[in-house]
Parts: sequence; structure tokens; C-alpha cells
Amino acid sequence: MSKTGLSRLTVIGGLLSAASLLIVFQMARIQGSTKHQELSRWADEQYSYAIENYYPERGNIYDRWGRLLAGNEDVYEVGLMLQYITNPSTIAATLDGVNDLKYKDILENAAKAFDPKESIYAVLTDFLPFGVVDVLSEIKQKYEIENPYGRDPEKPSLRGVVWYPHLKRSYPENSLASNILGFYSFRDRQNGIGYYGVEEYYDDILAGSPMESFMPRNPYMLEGLPEVPAGSSLVLTIDREIQAMVEKKLDEAVKEFEADYGVVIIMDPRNGEVLAMASQPRINLNQYWETEDQFKDKTPYNRAISETYEPGSVYKVLTMSAAMDDGAVDEKTIFNDPGRFEYGGGVVFNWDRQGHGKQDMQGCMQKSLNVCLAWVATELGKDKFYEYMQSFGIGRMTNIDLGGEKIWPFSIPGDSDWYPIQLVTNSFGQGVAVTPIQMATAISAVANDGKMMKPHVLKAIIQDGKQYNTSPQVLGVPIKPETARTMTNMLVKSLVNETSLALVPGYKIAGKTGTAEIPVEGVYGTNQTNASFVGWGPADDPQFLVYVWIARPEKSPWGSMIAAPLFSEITKELVVYLDIPPQTAQDPLMAKEG
Amino acid sequence: MTKKIKQAYQQAPWRRQLRFFGISVLPVIAIGMVIALYLVVSAQSAAAGLQIMQMHYDEEEILRQIANLRTELGYMTSYKEMQQRAKKVGYELPPAEAVHFMPIPGYSGQDAVLIAPPPGADSKGTPLVNEFYQQSLWDWFLNTFLVDSPAVKGDAN
Repeated sequence: MSKTGLSRLTVIGGLLSAASLLIVFQMARIQGSTKHQELSRWADEQYSYAIENYYPERGNIYDRWGRLLAGNEDVYEVGLMLQYITNPSTIAATLDGVNDLKYKDILENAAKAFDPKESIYAVLTDFLPFGVVDVLSEIKQKYEIENPYGRDPEKPSLRGVVWYPHLKRSYPENSLASNILGFYSFRDRQNGIGYYGVEEYYDDILAGSPMESFMPRNPYMLEGLPEVPAGSSLVLTIDREIQAMVEKKLDEAVKEFEADYGVVIIMDPRNGEVLAMASQPRINLNQYWETEDQFKDKTPYNRAISETYEPGSVYKVLTMSAAMDDGAVDEKTIFNDPGRFEYGGGVVFNWDRQGHGKQDMQGCMQKSLNVCLAWVATELGKDKFYEYMQSFGIGRMTNIDLGGEKIWPFSIPGDSDWYPIQLVTNSFGQGVAVTPIQMATAISAVANDGKMMKPHVLKAIIQDGKQYNTSPQVLGVPIKPETARTMTNMLVKSLVNETSLALVPGYKIAGKTGTAEIPVEGVYGTNQTNASFVGWGPADDPQFLVYVWIARPEKSPWGSMIAAPLFSEITKELVVYLDIPPQTAQDPLMAKEG
Repeated sequence: MTKKIKQAYQQAPWRRQLRFFGISVLPVIAIGMVIALYLVVSAQSAAAGLQIMQMHYDEEEILRQIANLRTELGYMTSYKEMQQRAKKVGYELPPAEAVHFMPIPGYSGQDAVLIAPPPGADSKGTPLVNEFYQQSLWDWFLNTFLVDSPAVKGDAN
């Protein structure tokens, strides 16, 4: 090799080495640059990962037999990818009328100029069912075949129209049990929450935990996928069939008696499970936005837990139970009823303004004598009376697991708004305001051997594929079991002796009517009443308690004429749903089983 | 003499060139093989990654479809719908008086609903991937010939 050749090689080698060194130097310079981290982060953000928001499926709600009350359905958001649009008028013409979309509005959106910084995607409509999107997809495909890539602007094309699926809360039973379920504001996809009832109370559990995750675009970087567990599902204590039956009968009764509205609660006094809870008005939960139209003037969403009222004579069950439990009176105690009772600067009368002479305690309950119960309360004494009422939960929330429970403060001796006359008026359920659920819970203690169970609607939670059943909770034991049994027997006899309209042929039912005057601007005696009835059975082994409240009936003011027959109508069907044989059938059955 | 001996045992120049060429090319081939292997593994890994991502999206869609079908079923078996269907086929609600009760030995009423197994229930199902595909060649060899072999276990009889 010549010297010249070597020197050429040396020069080329030198140049290549220098170039290599320059590259290495530049690499080192970039790596060491102060902007390196910033650039690297920018590149990562732009090209390495996509931020994805995961909204877990909201948990389902079932009735006690596993029938779906609230679920989720597949719907679609339809939008426009502006850079792909070739024929705005086709899009406007095709989507005109879909979900109330207007041709003009669609055209305005579709004709927008594509600006990568601002206008990329425009939402046209949301919550379209699959059927509509399916048709849209077929039309789009047809146009695509006729006019590939929308190249010919004269031919129709739906290029640029896109749709994304997502889940929407759905209530298969529409308005059934709407007062219990509440609703989820699904139209607000980012910030939807549960309102009222179960949806509000268990919102956190049902919703699960929404998650924001970095999803690598580079498949090499895919180390793991986000696990977004669905929200927990709930099994309620509600029985759909009983709920439907009760709602139907309540609606019919309110209409028949020309009342303002009504409430019915059915509980199992043994464990506090609410089997049905009907209230008025009700809404179709799939159109929850109509709530404001239906619930005007601060109308409570669920009157059974949110509306307080003076219960009237059903409250006498508590007064008499307290007095008998304390020993202030017993079944045979005789009271000579003069028809009026003066106490604390006031006078109280019986409902018929008559005196009824000598009455034992069962007679007092059977004839629902205010004067007698007022006397019983004074025999018990104010301190013990209020102590008992508080142990029955009056003045306290039941803490039922439904959103929106309210109470009215209960005035007791020592409070600035308590006056001695209240002892006697309270004894027969006037001057005290309670919710139906408070009354049903308190009286369930009498039906359940003195044990008061916490009312609840949750039977089980399904979380991570496991079903966790709830346990009943005892709220307290306000009276002794013997007192409870004596009271139950007294009230069974009362119904039979007065041949009440509440009687259910073949069944031993204990119960009490209530008629409370409604004060209008603080004045009683306006013929407006709250008619109530509470009953439970079978008396020997109570398995249900039914509480009925009908507000302002026009046909008759009396609980015995309005609420009692409704109780009977409901109970006749209830015993069939609950598989409770009549007394006449029970004995042979027991003998056969024995 | 020495020169002659050297010449006698010296390899032919073309052989030396071939050896030199071989030695020079060997690292290139080795590097090429490593690169090829790396590319194959990388491509497979990328394909698997993409497949996982796709399956992730498929899973999301399937879960959505399940939710949707469950709700559709809920609508089809809703109270109103069932009432209508019952009426259509001639069923009617009997009056309470018409209901007769009869004892059924051992029957204690409708069982409480169980939508999911209770906690503590064994939920381990059959593994999705056959165990043969979860062991390496060495595991297989060890299990088949050493651990499981009668001689090793001592139960050759």
C-alpha cells in the first residue's frame, strides 16, 4: 500500500472518528441539557401514555329474592371527529330528530372548521340506545361502500360521526319502590351521585372507586392493567311482589277515600326487616329529572321516613305499654271515665265527647278513650312516661338505612317548649310529631316480646364476588316480654270485640286505630284528620307489622273507617305471600308435623 | 532444513485467509444472531402486549354487555311485564280464601337468595391454563424423571 493511500485512509478514518465523537458529544450534551427532563416528560405525556378514566360499574340493587330493582344498561354517546367530516349536510339530515337533535344544530357543529388546538371533537348527543346506534352504523357502512373515504363531497357520507359506549343507571321497575330506592343522577356522567333512599345512603358502596390510570401506548411498557372493581351490589329486604301489592292498594285507597296521600310500612318485627314501604307521590326513576315537578312545596321524597305527623290513638299502644310495664296499671285496673280530664291547666275529652263509666284497661284501648289514657299517663308520672317514650325511640332517628330520614324534636319536661298539659295530650298521640317509621319501629317492640329491632332495608352486600349478609340489630328493650304479650292479647281482644274492619278472617291480629286532628294554623277541630292503623300478627308468633297512615281523607275522618279496612285488605294478601296459614289450618298442620 | 520443515507444516495461504475471514465474521454472525433473537422476542413481546391491551378492551366490552343483558332480563321479568304475561296465559291471583295450606315434610319455606357465594366458600376454580403449560423444561424433567420416578420415591414395588 502506498504512503498516499495510507494517508487517505488515515484522513477518512480521522473524519469518521471525529464525526462519531461529535455524535457522542451531542448525545452527551442533550442528556446533560437542563431541558432534557422537561422534554422527556413532554414526550412521555404526549406519546408514551394515555390517561384513561375508569368509572366502575355501579352496583346492582336486588329485592330479597334476587329480582333486579336497579341495574345498568349500555348506551352510546354520539359525537363528531371534525377532521374526518366530509359531508356535514348528510350528518345533519341523518341525525335530525334523533334524541330531539335539530338539523340546524347538528349542521352548525358538523360544519365547524377543524382546529387541532381547539375543535377536534364535538358531542352531539348522549344516552342513545344500542338499536339507534346499530341503524346508524348500517347507514354509515352503506355510505362508505358507495363513497369510500367520503372522497366525493357530492355523495352522502357519515365520516366523522363516532359513538362511544358507556353504562347508564337503569331501573327495570320504573316507579315501583321508587321512594325506597332513590335515584342516581346518571345524566351527569362526571359527577353523578345518589339521591334519597338506598342510592343516597349506600352511594359510596354502590359507586366503587373511580380510577385515573396511565395506560402505556407502547406495548413493551405494558406491565399491568388497572383492576377497577365494580361497585358493590345490594340485596334489599324489600319483597317486590309485596311492595307492588301495597302500592296498588294504597293508591286505590287514597283515591277511594279522597285523601291527600298515604303511607304503608310492612316490617318483620322479629328482625326489623322492611318488607315494603309505600309512599306517595312516586316517580319513574328512569326520568328522575321530573322529581321537582312531582315533589312540589317541599313534599318529602319518602313520607314514611321524612314526614312527621301527629299519630293520634295508635300512640296509646306506647302509653299503655309503658304504664303496664312499670306496674302503674294492669289489665284489671278500673278507671271510671267521666268523659273529661283536667290537667296542667287544660281539659281533654274523649273522641265522642262522652263519658264511658267504669272501664278496665282493655276497654280503654278498645274504645280508644283519651281521658283514660291521660289518666294512665298521670298515674305513670311524667318522668317515667318520657323515659319510656325515649326508650321507644320517640324523638330519635331510627337510623334506617335510607337517605333523608327526618324527625321532629320531642319536648320533654325541662325543655322550654314543654308544658304540663303535654303529658296528657302526648298520651293519646297529640302534641307529638313522629314519622311512620318511628311509630312502626316503636310498636314493633310490642310485637316482638319487648325487643325493638333496628329497621333496615339492606339484607346483604355483594362485594368482590362474595355475599355478606347483614345481621339484625337490637335498638333496645323498652318493655318486658310479659308486658308485650299482655298488650298484644289486649289488642287482639279489642279488635275482635269491636268487630273491627281490620280483622282478617282466620288470623289472630293485634291492632290499634288512630285518628288525629290536624291543626290548621294552630287550631284543632277542623275535621281534617290523619287516619292511622297499626296491626301485627299472627298474635301468637308475630311475623309482620303493618303501619297505615292516610292523610286528610274526605270520605270519613276515622282511622277505623279508613286505615283499618286498608290494613285488612293488605294483610289478607300479605299472609299468602308470607306463607302464613290461617289459625284454623295451623293446628292440623302442627299436628301433622308433630 | 528448518525452513523446509516450516514450509512442510505451514498451512496454505488460502486456508489462512479462510480462517482469518472466519474469525472476523464469527463475531458479526454472533451479534447478528443475538440481534435477530432479540428482535423476534421483542416482536413477540410487543404482539403479546397489544393482545393484552385488546383483551383488556374486550373484557371491558364483555362486562358492559353482561350488565346490559342483566338489565334487559330485569326489564323482561319486571313486575308489570310478568303480570301481563301471567294474565295473557290465563293465570289470575286467587282470593286469599281460596288458598289452601298443606304440610310438606322438610320444607321450611323459600330459601334466602344467594347471588354470590358466602365469604369463606372455596372459590378456587379450575386453573385457566393447563399446568403442563406452566412448567419449564427443567420442571418437567425434574417432575417426570426425578421427583415422580418410582425409584426416587422408593415405591418401586
